[in-house]
Amino acid sequence: MNTDPDVVRDLFASHYFLFAFLASLGTLQFVVSNSGTRGLWLTPYAVMTRWLGVGLIIVAIALFFLQPLWVDGPWAAGSVEADSLTREWGKASWDELAGARNVNDIDGGLDGVKQAIWFSLAAISAFAVSAIFGTLSVKINVIGEQRSADVLQPENADGLAGLANRSYLSNLPDSFRNFKSDIGGVWRNGINDAEGWSVMKMIFGKSSK
Amino acid sequence: MNSIDADIVIWLNGLSGNVKVFDDFIRITASDYLMPLVFSLAMLGLWFSGKTPAERVRYQLTMLMGISALSIANFVVWLINISWDRPRPFIEHADQLNLLFYSPTDPSFPANPVAVGFVAATAAWSINRKFGLCMYAAATLFGFSRLYAGVFYPTDIVGGAIVGIVIYGFTTYLRRFLEPLVTGFVRLIRGLSAA
Repeated sequence: MNTDPDVVRDLFASHYFLFAFLASLGTLQFVVSNSGTRGLWLTPYAVMTRWLGVGLIIVAIALFFLQPLWVDGPWAAGSVEADSLTREWGKASWDELAGARNVNDIDGGLDGVKQAIWFSLAAISAFAVSAIFGTLSVKINVIGEQRSADVLQPENADGLAGLANRSYLSNLPDSFRNFKSDIGGVWRNGINDAEGWSVMKMIFGKSSK
Repeated sequence: MNSIDADIVIWLNGLSGNVKVFDDFIRITASDYLMPLVFSLAMLGLWFSGKTPAERVRYQLTMLMGISALSIANFVVWLINISWDRPRPFIEHADQLNLLFYSPTDPSFPANPVAVGFVAATAAWSINRKFGLCMYAAATLFGFSRLYAGVFYPTDIVGGAIVGIVIYGFTTYLRRFLEPLVTGFVRLIRGLSAA
């Protein structure tokens, strides 16, 4: 490899984050449009949200694998061979594009652990963006359909169920309040129902009776 | 057995170089980024896809089991790797293979990427048979592309698949060892409006 692995790693990390973020956002939109979780929709309409999700996934994949055509990296035209030892810095050519991203982690590619970290950050960011735009979607839905979110909201709905007709921020206090009132019962019932050899039952079994 | 293994990878890899579009497709599916991202997205999708609270909890527990199984599978692959350092096919048959992928430095058996793919696929299959079959197909394609590229033997792929399936089963069993901690964790995330 005729380039610094650390520089390559930084480049891959930024490209991978964008790739994972767009793909996660797309997956999230596709899934929540099916489950009716309006509080996370990027648009006010289910079908539009679903197709936006599909589009984002396609854009993410295309962008990641086509980027070497216009971004300088360890894939200069003429240097992309199966192995990543002899790469030069520059832009890729169409002919070598498919193999451009195949860089060993010792040469600056991302190993599994780094991918897991970047993917987690990307997924959390995608959720945050969905929650922010979902607030607008819920407002437009409520105004557009002349209905009150409170009327449609099932009693005690919280978590993702509560996001069906409420924004993230208006759903959060109820969710957390329910969590605080439920968790003791969840824990006690869980300890009672747990197998005899459950570590938690062995440690907390007596104190929770 | 080793001879059949080598014959298969040499024959399959010998097909490369004839159709450039297919070779390019293999280079992309064998990449470290595409299929692993597909498996990660499947897990992310599971978390949000339930329609009723009970269904959601089941999906979310499955997702957590899937992620835990991925870590355990990586550990098991590492344990096998340190006890048997099987050389890669492109090292043992360098003069007969046309390498389509970079040369990994870790041992060949079992195929770690395939183990990861089969963990995710088994998790998906335990929730929805059709979705699971699609994921098994994706994991198989991932293994096939690495085989075609000349970086794994067929037995590495089969070994990786077995490790993935067995470790997922083992992890779901292990979950009972930690209950109600796992269910309590899902309840906490629901308290944060994200489950």
